Amino acid sequence: MNARQAGRTAAVVVVLVVLQFIVQPLLAWRAAPDFVVMAVLYAAVRMRPGWAAVLGFGLGLATDSLALSGFGAGALALAVVGFGASWLKGMFFADNVAINAAFLFLGKWAFDIVYVIAQHGMSFGALAAQVLVWSVLSAAMTAVVGIVALAMLRPLGGDATS
Amino acid sequence: MDIAVLALCIVLSVLAMALPVEAREPIAGGLRRTLMAPLVTVQRGATQWRLAWLESEKLALGRDTLAAAAGDANALRLENARLRELLGLGARLKWGIVPAVALQERARPGDVITSLVLSAGTNAGISTYSPVVGPDGVIGLVQSADPKSSVVMLFSHPDFRVSAMTLDGSVFGIVYPHAGDGSAGYLLELRNVAFRTLLKPGTEIITSGLGGTFPRGIPVGTVIQEINTTEGWSRTYLLRPAVNPASVTSVMVMTPERAQEDVGNAWADSATVQAAERRMTAVADSLARRAAELEAARRRAQADSARRDTTPKPPGGGQP
Repeated sequence: MNARQAGRTAAVVVVLVVLQFIVQPLLAWRAAPDFVVMAVLYAAVRMRPGWAAVLGFGLGLATDSLALSGFGAGALALAVVGFGASWLKGMFFADNVAINAAFLFLGKWAFDIVYVIAQHGMSFGALAAQVLVWSVLSAAMTAVVGIVALAMLRPLGGDATS
Repeated sequence: MDIAVLALCIVLSVLAMALPVEAREPIAGGLRRTLMAPLVTVQRGATQWRLAWLESEKLALGRDTLAAAAGDANALRLENARLRELLGLGARLKWGIVPAVALQERARPGDVITSLVLSAGTNAGISTYSPVVGPDGVIGLVQSADPKSSVVMLFSHPDFRVSAMTLDGSVFGIVYPHAGDGSAGYLLELRNVAFRTLLKPGTEIITSGLGGTFPRGIPVGTVIQEINTTEGWSRTYLLRPAVNPASVTSVMVMTPERAQEDVGNAWADSATVQAAERRMTAVADSLARRAAELEAARRRAQADSARRDTTPKPPGGGQP
Protein backbone atom coordinates (compact mmCIF):
# COMPACT_ATOMS: atom_id res chain seq x y z
CA MET A 1 0.00 0.00 0.00
CA ASN A 2 1.59 3.26 -1.10
CA ALA A 3 1.22 6.62 0.64
CA ARG A 4 -1.70 7.68 -1.59
CA GLN A 5 -3.61 4.49 -0.85
CA ALA A 6 -2.78 4.82 2.83
CA GLY A 7 -4.16 8.37 2.86
CA ARG A 8 -7.39 7.29 1.14
CA THR A 9 -7.81 4.39 3.53
CA ALA A 10 -7.22 6.67 6.51
CA ALA A 11 -9.82 9.10 5.15
CA VAL A 12 -12.44 6.35 4.84
CA VAL A 13 -11.62 5.09 8.34
CA VAL A 14 -12.04 8.60 9.76
CA VAL A 15 -15.37 9.08 7.99
CA LEU A 16 -16.66 5.74 9.25
CA VAL A 17 -15.54 6.47 12.81
CA VAL A 18 -17.22 9.89 12.72
CA LEU A 19 -20.39 8.23 11.37
CA GLN A 20 -20.33 5.93 14.38
CA PHE A 21 -20.66 8.93 16.68
CA ILE A 22 -23.37 10.57 14.59
CA VAL A 23 -25.59 7.69 13.49
CA GLN A 24 -25.62 5.59 16.67
CA PRO A 25 -26.90 8.38 18.98
CA LEU A 26 -29.50 9.37 16.38
CA LEU A 27 -30.82 5.84 15.97
CA ALA A 28 -30.36 4.71 19.58
CA TRP A 29 -31.20 1.15 18.54
CA ARG A 30 -30.05 -1.86 20.48
CA ALA A 31 -29.11 -3.54 17.20
CA ALA A 32 -27.46 -0.55 15.56
CA PRO A 33 -24.84 -0.77 12.78
CA ASP A 34 -21.24 -0.60 14.01
CA PHE A 35 -19.18 1.76 11.88
CA VAL A 36 -16.00 1.23 13.94
CA VAL A 37 -16.03 -2.47 13.05
CA MET A 38 -16.61 -1.47 9.44
CA ALA A 39 -13.63 0.88 9.60
CA VAL A 40 -11.34 -1.80 11.07
CA LEU A 41 -12.45 -4.38 8.51
CA TYR A 42 -12.07 -1.89 5.67
CA ALA A 43 -8.53 -0.99 6.71
CA ALA A 44 -7.49 -4.50 7.76
CA VAL A 45 -7.73 -5.96 4.27
CA ARG A 46 -5.34 -3.25 3.05
CA MET A 47 -2.51 -3.83 5.57
CA ARG A 48 -0.50 -6.54 7.21
CA PRO A 49 -2.20 -8.52 10.00
CA GLY A 50 0.07 -7.05 12.65
CA TRP A 51 -0.77 -3.47 11.71
CA ALA A 52 -4.45 -4.39 11.48
CA ALA A 53 -4.27 -5.70 15.02
CA VAL A 54 -2.62 -2.47 16.16
CA LEU A 55 -5.27 -0.39 14.42
CA GLY A 56 -8.03 -2.46 16.02
CA PHE A 57 -6.37 -2.18 19.41
CA GLY A 58 -6.04 1.60 19.10
CA LEU A 59 -9.59 2.22 17.92
CA GLY A 60 -10.93 -0.21 20.49
CA LEU A 61 -9.06 1.47 23.33
CA ALA A 62 -10.27 4.88 22.17
CA THR A 63 -13.93 3.81 22.08
CA ASP A 64 -13.48 1.96 25.39
CA SER A 65 -12.53 5.25 26.98
CA LEU A 66 -16.12 6.41 26.46
CA ALA A 67 -17.67 3.25 27.86
CA LEU A 68 -18.71 3.03 31.47
CA SER A 69 -17.25 -0.47 31.90
CA GLY A 70 -15.17 -3.05 30.07
CA PHE A 71 -12.12 -0.88 29.42
CA GLY A 72 -9.85 -2.98 27.18
CA ALA A 73 -12.55 -5.40 26.02
CA GLY A 74 -13.23 -3.44 22.84
CA ALA A 75 -9.49 -3.17 22.20
CA LEU A 76 -9.07 -6.92 22.51
CA ALA A 77 -12.06 -7.68 20.31
CA LEU A 78 -11.11 -5.23 17.55
CA ALA A 79 -7.47 -6.37 17.59
CA VAL A 80 -8.56 -9.97 17.08
CA VAL A 81 -11.11 -9.04 14.41
CA GLY A 82 -8.63 -6.78 12.59
CA PHE A 83 -5.93 -9.43 12.62
CA GLY A 84 -8.35 -12.11 11.43
CA ALA A 85 -9.73 -9.91 8.66
CA SER A 86 -6.26 -9.04 7.41
CA TRP A 87 -5.20 -12.67 7.52
CA LEU A 88 -8.23 -13.62 5.42
CA LYS A 89 -7.98 -10.63 3.06
CA GLY A 90 -7.33 -12.81 0.04
CA MET A 91 -10.83 -14.20 0.33
CA PHE A 92 -12.80 -11.10 1.08
CA PHE A 93 -13.55 -7.69 -0.26
CA ALA A 94 -13.82 -9.01 -3.76
CA ASP A 95 -16.32 -7.39 -6.09
CA ASN A 96 -19.10 -9.46 -4.64
CA VAL A 97 -21.75 -7.81 -2.50
CA ALA A 98 -22.83 -11.02 -0.80
CA ILE A 99 -19.29 -11.94 0.22
CA ASN A 100 -18.62 -8.44 1.51
CA ALA A 101 -21.88 -8.50 3.47
CA ALA A 102 -20.98 -11.88 4.95
CA PHE A 103 -17.53 -10.54 5.83
CA LEU A 104 -19.03 -7.56 7.65
CA PHE A 105 -21.60 -9.78 9.35
CA LEU A 106 -19.00 -12.25 10.61
CA GLY A 107 -16.62 -9.48 11.60
CA LYS A 108 -19.22 -7.68 13.70
CA TRP A 109 -20.51 -10.90 15.21
CA ALA A 110 -16.97 -12.02 16.09
CA PHE A 111 -16.31 -8.63 17.65
CA ASP A 112 -19.46 -8.85 19.80
CA ILE A 113 -18.67 -12.39 20.91
CA VAL A 114 -15.13 -11.52 21.95
CA TYR A 115 -16.31 -8.28 23.54
CA VAL A 116 -19.08 -9.72 25.74
CA ILE A 117 -16.90 -12.66 26.79
CA ALA A 118 -13.96 -10.38 27.61
CA GLN A 119 -16.24 -8.00 29.48
CA HIS A 120 -17.67 -10.97 31.49
CA GLY A 121 -20.26 -8.73 33.12
CA MET A 122 -23.34 -10.73 32.08
CA SER A 123 -25.11 -13.81 33.38
CA PHE A 124 -25.18 -16.85 31.11
CA GLY A 125 -28.76 -16.18 29.96
CA ALA A 126 -28.11 -12.51 29.20
CA LEU A 127 -24.87 -13.41 27.43
CA ALA A 128 -26.64 -16.02 25.30
CA ALA A 129 -29.40 -13.55 24.41
CA GLN A 130 -26.83 -10.90 23.55
CA VAL A 131 -24.71 -13.19 21.38
CA LEU A 132 -27.49 -15.14 19.70
CA VAL A 133 -30.11 -12.43 19.27
CA TRP A 134 -28.92 -8.87 19.60
CA SER A 135 -25.43 -9.42 18.21
CA VAL A 136 -26.85 -11.28 15.23
CA LEU A 137 -29.31 -8.46 14.55
CA SER A 138 -26.60 -5.86 15.00
CA ALA A 139 -24.27 -7.82 12.70
CA ALA A 140 -26.99 -8.04 10.06
CA MET A 141 -27.62 -4.32 10.36
CA THR A 142 -23.89 -3.65 10.12
CA ALA A 143 -23.67 -5.78 6.98
CA VAL A 144 -26.56 -3.99 5.26
CA VAL A 145 -25.49 -0.50 6.25
CA GLY A 146 -21.85 -1.33 5.62
CA ILE A 147 -22.49 -2.36 2.02
CA VAL A 148 -24.30 0.92 1.40
CA ALA A 149 -21.71 3.01 3.24
CA LEU A 150 -18.73 1.40 1.50
CA ALA A 151 -20.40 1.85 -1.89
CA MET A 152 -20.93 5.53 -1.11
CA LEU A 153 -17.35 5.91 0.13
CA ARG A 154 -15.84 4.17 -2.89
CA PRO A 155 -14.92 7.47 -4.61
CA LEU A 156 -13.11 8.55 -1.46
CA GLY A 157 -11.28 5.27 -0.94
CA GLY A 158 -10.31 4.73 -4.57
CA ASP A 159 -10.40 1.02 -5.51
CA ALA A 160 -12.31 -0.29 -2.55
CA THR A 161 -12.12 -3.88 -3.67
CA SER A 162 -8.39 -4.19 -3.98
CA MET B 1 6.17 -11.03 13.50
CA ASP B 2 2.43 -10.40 12.96
CA ILE B 3 1.56 -13.04 15.50
CA ALA B 4 3.86 -11.36 17.99
CA VAL B 5 2.18 -8.00 17.43
CA LEU B 6 -1.24 -9.59 17.91
CA ALA B 7 -0.05 -11.26 21.06
CA LEU B 8 1.26 -7.94 22.34
CA CYS B 9 -2.10 -6.29 21.60
CA ILE B 10 -3.94 -9.07 23.41
CA VAL B 11 -1.64 -8.80 26.41
CA LEU B 12 -2.09 -5.02 26.56
CA SER B 13 -5.87 -5.41 26.26
CA VAL B 14 -5.96 -7.93 29.08
CA LEU B 15 -3.80 -5.64 31.16
CA ALA B 16 -6.18 -2.75 30.46
CA MET B 17 -9.11 -4.89 31.57
CA ALA B 18 -7.29 -5.93 34.70
CA LEU B 19 -6.33 -2.39 35.68
CA PRO B 20 -8.03 -1.03 38.79
CA VAL B 21 -10.39 1.88 38.27
CA GLU B 22 -8.02 4.46 39.71
CA ALA B 23 -5.29 3.34 37.29
CA ARG B 24 -7.44 3.06 34.16
CA GLU B 25 -9.29 6.36 34.63
CA PRO B 26 -6.22 8.57 33.87
CA ILE B 27 -5.72 6.67 30.59
CA ALA B 28 -9.39 6.77 29.62
CA GLY B 29 -9.68 10.41 30.70
CA GLY B 30 -6.61 11.33 28.67
CA LEU B 31 -8.09 9.68 25.58
CA ARG B 32 -11.43 11.44 26.15
CA ARG B 33 -9.77 14.84 26.51
CA THR B 34 -7.50 14.52 23.46
CA LEU B 35 -8.18 12.00 20.72
CA MET B 36 -11.88 11.49 21.43
CA ALA B 37 -12.78 15.08 22.30
CA PRO B 38 -13.99 16.04 18.78
CA LEU B 39 -15.94 12.79 18.52
CA VAL B 40 -17.53 13.34 21.91
CA THR B 41 -18.63 16.78 20.71
CA VAL B 42 -20.12 15.24 17.58
CA GLN B 43 -21.86 12.57 19.61
CA ARG B 44 -23.27 15.15 22.01
CA GLY B 45 -24.69 17.12 19.08
CA ALA B 46 -26.31 14.00 17.62
CA THR B 47 -27.77 13.10 20.99
CA GLN B 48 -29.21 16.59 21.36
CA TRP B 49 -30.74 16.33 17.91
CA ARG B 50 -32.39 13.07 18.89
CA LEU B 51 -33.63 14.49 22.19
CA ALA B 52 -35.02 17.52 20.38
CA TRP B 53 -36.84 15.26 17.94
CA LEU B 54 -38.30 13.16 20.76
CA GLU B 55 -39.25 16.31 22.63
CA SER B 56 -41.04 17.71 19.57
CA GLU B 57 -43.00 14.45 19.24
CA LYS B 58 -43.92 14.67 22.92
CA LEU B 59 -44.99 18.27 22.51
CA ALA B 60 -47.13 17.42 19.50
CA LEU B 61 -48.77 14.61 21.46
CA GLY B 62 -49.37 16.94 24.39
CA ARG B 63 -50.86 19.59 22.10
CA ASP B 64 -53.24 17.03 20.54
CA THR B 65 -54.22 15.76 23.99
CA LEU B 66 -54.93 19.29 25.14
CA ALA B 67 -57.01 19.97 22.03
CA ALA B 68 -59.06 16.84 22.68
CA ALA B 69 -59.45 17.79 26.34
CA ALA B 70 -60.54 21.28 25.34
CA GLY B 71 -63.23 19.78 23.09
CA ASP B 72 -64.47 17.59 25.94
CA ALA B 73 -64.37 20.52 28.32
CA ASN B 74 -66.63 22.54 26.05
CA ALA B 75 -69.19 19.72 25.88
CA LEU B 76 -68.98 19.28 29.65
CA ARG B 77 -69.44 23.01 30.18
CA LEU B 78 -72.63 22.97 28.10
CA GLU B 79 -73.91 19.89 29.89
CA ASN B 80 -73.07 21.47 33.23
CA ALA B 81 -74.99 24.61 32.33
CA ARG B 82 -77.98 22.52 31.26
CA LEU B 83 -77.96 20.54 34.49
CA ARG B 84 -77.67 23.75 36.53
CA GLU B 85 -80.72 25.11 34.78
CA LEU B 86 -82.56 21.88 35.46
CA LEU B 87 -81.58 21.93 39.12
CA GLY B 88 -82.71 25.52 39.39
CA LEU B 89 -86.07 24.63 37.88
CA GLY B 90 -86.44 21.64 40.21
CA ALA B 91 -85.76 23.86 43.22
CA ARG B 92 -88.36 26.37 42.07
CA LEU B 93 -91.02 23.73 41.42
CA LYS B 94 -90.22 22.32 44.90
CA TRP B 95 -92.10 18.98 44.71
CA GLY B 96 -93.67 16.41 42.39
CA ILE B 97 -90.78 16.43 39.96
CA VAL B 98 -88.97 13.34 38.64
CA PRO B 99 -85.61 14.01 36.96
CA ALA B 100 -84.80 11.70 34.06
CA VAL B 101 -82.20 11.26 31.38
CA ALA B 102 -83.27 11.22 27.73
CA LEU B 103 -81.88 8.13 26.03
CA GLN B 104 -82.28 9.37 22.50
CA GLU B 105 -80.07 8.30 19.65
CA ARG B 106 -78.25 10.93 17.67
CA ALA B 107 -80.57 12.11 14.92
CA ARG B 108 -79.35 12.19 11.34
CA PRO B 109 -79.33 15.61 9.72
CA GLY B 110 -82.80 16.38 8.40
CA ASP B 111 -84.60 13.88 10.66
CA VAL B 112 -87.32 15.15 12.99
CA ILE B 113 -87.36 13.44 16.39
CA THR B 114 -90.91 12.84 17.61
CA SER B 115 -90.34 10.65 20.67
CA LEU B 116 -87.81 10.01 23.42
CA VAL B 117 -87.09 7.21 25.86
CA LEU B 118 -86.54 8.30 29.45
CA SER B 119 -84.49 6.50 32.11
CA ALA B 120 -87.30 6.68 34.70
CA GLY B 121 -90.70 4.99 34.78
CA THR B 122 -93.63 4.16 37.01
CA ASN B 123 -91.36 3.15 39.88
CA ALA B 124 -90.32 6.80 40.09
CA GLY B 125 -93.91 8.07 39.99
CA ILE B 126 -94.25 8.67 36.26
CA SER B 127 -97.54 7.77 34.59
CA THR B 128 -99.13 8.12 31.18
CA TYR B 129 -99.79 11.74 30.16
CA SER B 130 -97.37 13.13 32.71
CA PRO B 131 -96.00 16.46 31.41
CA VAL B 132 -92.35 16.47 30.44
CA VAL B 133 -90.65 19.83 30.82
CA GLY B 134 -87.21 21.41 30.78
CA PRO B 135 -85.70 24.67 32.03
CA ASP B 136 -86.85 26.37 28.83
CA GLY B 137 -90.38 25.02 28.66
CA VAL B 138 -92.61 22.26 27.31
CA ILE B 139 -90.91 19.19 25.85
CA GLY B 140 -93.79 16.72 25.54
CA LEU B 141 -95.85 14.27 27.53
CA VAL B 142 -95.44 10.67 28.57
CA GLN B 143 -97.00 8.35 26.02
CA SER B 144 -96.37 5.09 27.85
CA ALA B 145 -94.61 4.19 31.07
CA ASP B 146 -92.89 1.01 32.20
CA PRO B 147 -91.52 0.42 35.69
CA LYS B 148 -88.02 1.62 34.78
CA SER B 149 -88.45 3.60 31.59
CA SER B 150 -91.01 5.63 29.73
CA VAL B 151 -91.65 6.90 26.22
CA VAL B 152 -92.23 10.59 25.66
CA MET B 153 -94.31 12.03 22.85
CA LEU B 154 -92.43 15.20 21.91
CA PHE B 155 -94.25 18.33 20.79
CA SER B 156 -93.05 17.53 17.29
CA HIS B 157 -95.22 14.38 17.26
CA PRO B 158 -98.21 14.69 14.89
CA ASP B 159 -100.63 13.76 17.72
CA PHE B 160 -99.34 16.31 20.20
CA ARG B 161 -101.73 19.07 21.35
CA VAL B 162 -101.61 21.57 24.20
CA SER B 163 -103.88 24.43 25.16
CA ALA B 164 -101.95 27.71 25.20
CA MET B 165 -102.30 31.43 25.70
CA THR B 166 -100.36 34.65 25.71
CA LEU B 167 -98.58 35.77 28.87
CA ASP B 168 -101.33 38.22 29.77
CA GLY B 169 -104.03 35.58 29.20
CA SER B 170 -105.85 37.67 26.60
CA VAL B 171 -105.50 35.27 23.67
CA PHE B 172 -106.05 31.52 23.74
CA GLY B 173 -105.48 28.79 21.19
CA ILE B 174 -104.41 25.20 20.66
CA VAL B 175 -100.78 24.37 19.83
CA TYR B 176 -100.16 21.79 17.12
CA PRO B 177 -96.91 20.56 15.57
CA HIS B 178 -96.07 22.25 12.29
CA ALA B 179 -95.73 19.87 9.35
CA GLY B 180 -92.32 20.30 7.75
CA ASP B 181 -88.90 18.78 7.14
CA GLY B 182 -85.63 19.43 8.93
CA SER B 183 -85.62 22.25 11.44
CA ALA B 184 -89.06 23.39 10.24
CA GLY B 185 -90.42 20.10 11.63
CA TYR B 186 -89.80 21.38 15.13
CA LEU B 187 -91.88 24.52 14.65
CA LEU B 188 -95.32 24.75 16.18
CA GLU B 189 -98.65 26.25 15.18
CA LEU B 190 -101.00 28.16 17.46
CA ARG B 191 -104.42 27.52 15.95
CA ASN B 192 -107.97 28.61 16.73
CA VAL B 193 -106.94 32.10 17.77
CA ALA B 194 -109.91 34.44 17.68
CA PHE B 195 -110.02 36.29 14.39
CA ARG B 196 -110.33 39.68 16.05
CA THR B 197 -106.95 39.38 17.81
CA LEU B 198 -103.56 39.99 16.26
CA LEU B 199 -100.30 38.70 17.75
CA LYS B 200 -97.02 40.42 17.07
CA PRO B 201 -93.88 38.43 16.25
CA GLY B 202 -91.96 37.68 19.43
CA THR B 203 -95.08 37.31 21.58
CA GLU B 204 -94.49 34.60 24.16
CA ILE B 205 -96.94 31.72 24.38
CA ILE B 206 -97.37 29.63 27.52
CA THR B 207 -99.58 26.74 28.54
CA SER B 208 -103.05 27.81 29.67
CA GLY B 209 -103.76 24.98 32.10
CA LEU B 210 -106.91 24.07 30.19
CA GLY B 211 -107.16 20.45 29.14
CA GLY B 212 -105.85 19.04 32.41
CA THR B 213 -102.46 17.78 31.24
CA PHE B 214 -100.12 20.75 31.52
CA PRO B 215 -100.40 23.25 34.36
CA ARG B 216 -100.65 26.90 33.51
CA GLY B 217 -97.55 28.99 32.92
CA ILE B 218 -95.05 26.72 31.14
CA PRO B 219 -93.38 28.38 28.11
CA VAL B 220 -94.30 26.82 24.78
CA GLY B 221 -92.70 29.18 22.27
CA THR B 222 -92.75 32.59 20.64
CA VAL B 223 -94.72 33.86 17.68
CA ILE B 224 -92.83 34.05 14.40
CA GLN B 225 -95.58 35.09 12.00
CA GLU B 226 -99.17 34.47 11.01
CA ILE B 227 -99.92 31.65 8.62
CA ASN B 228 -102.55 32.22 5.97
CA THR B 229 -105.22 29.58 6.25
CA THR B 230 -108.47 28.93 4.44
CA GLU B 231 -110.43 29.13 7.69
CA GLY B 232 -112.04 32.53 7.87
CA TRP B 233 -113.13 32.53 11.50
CA SER B 234 -109.84 32.04 13.29
CA ARG B 235 -106.16 32.79 12.89
CA THR B 236 -103.11 30.47 12.97
CA TYR B 237 -99.64 31.57 14.05
CA LEU B 238 -96.29 29.91 13.51
CA LEU B 239 -94.33 29.47 16.77
CA ARG B 240 -90.67 28.95 17.47
CA PRO B 241 -90.59 26.36 20.29
CA ALA B 242 -88.92 27.23 23.57
CA VAL B 243 -87.04 23.91 23.54
CA ASN B 244 -85.02 22.23 20.80
CA PRO B 245 -85.89 18.51 21.12
CA ALA B 246 -82.74 17.45 19.24
CA SER B 247 -80.55 18.78 22.05
CA VAL B 248 -82.54 17.47 25.01
CA THR B 249 -80.45 15.29 27.31
CA SER B 250 -82.03 15.75 30.73
CA VAL B 251 -85.69 16.44 31.51
CA MET B 252 -88.11 16.71 34.39
CA VAL B 253 -91.37 14.81 34.51
CA MET B 254 -94.19 16.28 36.56
CA THR B 255 -96.23 13.76 38.52
CA PRO B 256 -100.01 13.84 37.92
CA GLU B 257 -100.56 15.44 41.34
CA ARG B 258 -98.03 18.17 40.61
CA ALA B 259 -99.55 18.80 37.19
CA GLN B 260 -102.83 19.73 38.84
CA GLU B 261 -101.19 22.45 40.95
CA ASP B 262 -100.03 25.89 39.99
CA VAL B 263 -96.36 26.22 38.98
CA GLY B 264 -96.23 29.83 40.07
CA ASN B 265 -93.39 31.90 38.61
CA ALA B 266 -91.03 28.94 38.16
CA TRP B 267 -90.40 29.72 34.48
CA ALA B 268 -90.98 33.45 34.73
CA ASP B 269 -88.06 33.69 37.21
CA SER B 270 -85.98 31.41 35.08
CA ALA B 271 -84.51 34.12 32.87
CA THR B 272 -83.40 36.20 35.85
CA VAL B 273 -81.88 33.23 37.63
CA GLN B 274 -80.12 32.05 34.49
CA ALA B 275 -78.58 35.44 33.91
CA ALA B 276 -77.25 35.47 37.48
CA GLU B 277 -75.91 31.93 37.09
CA ARG B 278 -74.21 32.88 33.83
CA ARG B 279 -72.48 35.78 35.54
CA MET B 280 -71.33 33.54 38.39
CA THR B 281 -70.10 30.92 35.94
CA ALA B 282 -68.17 33.54 33.99
CA VAL B 283 -66.46 34.75 37.16
CA ALA B 284 -65.63 31.17 38.22
CA ASP B 285 -64.27 30.34 34.76
CA SER B 286 -62.14 33.47 34.78
CA LEU B 287 -60.66 32.54 38.15
CA ALA B 288 -59.98 28.98 37.02
CA ARG B 289 -58.30 30.25 33.84
CA ARG B 290 -56.09 32.59 35.83
CA ALA B 291 -55.12 29.78 38.22
CA ALA B 292 -54.23 27.53 35.26
CA GLU B 293 -52.08 30.27 33.73
CA LEU B 294 -50.22 30.77 37.01
CA GLU B 295 -49.67 27.01 37.34
CA ALA B 296 -48.34 26.79 33.76
CA ALA B 297 -45.97 29.70 34.40
CA ARG B 298 -44.70 28.02 37.55
CA ARG B 299 -44.06 24.74 35.66
CA ARG B 300 -42.27 26.57 32.87
CA ALA B 301 -40.02 28.29 35.39
CA GLN B 302 -39.24 24.95 37.05
CA ALA B 303 -38.46 23.32 33.70
CA ASP B 304 -36.17 26.18 32.68
CA SER B 305 -34.36 25.96 35.99
CA ALA B 306 -33.92 22.18 35.67
CA ARG B 307 -32.63 22.56 32.09
CA ARG B 308 -30.03 25.09 33.17
CA ASP B 309 -28.85 22.79 35.96
CA THR B 310 -28.48 19.73 33.71
CA THR B 311 -24.87 18.91 32.72
CA PRO B 312 -24.51 16.48 29.77
CA LYS B 313 -22.84 13.21 30.79
CA PRO B 314 -20.09 11.61 28.66
CA PRO B 315 -21.97 9.43 26.15
CA GLY B 316 -21.16 5.72 25.51
CA GLY B 317 -18.99 4.38 22.68
CA GLY B 318 -19.66 1.84 19.97
CA GLN B 319 -19.82 -1.21 22.20
CA PRO B 320 -22.80 -3.56 21.95
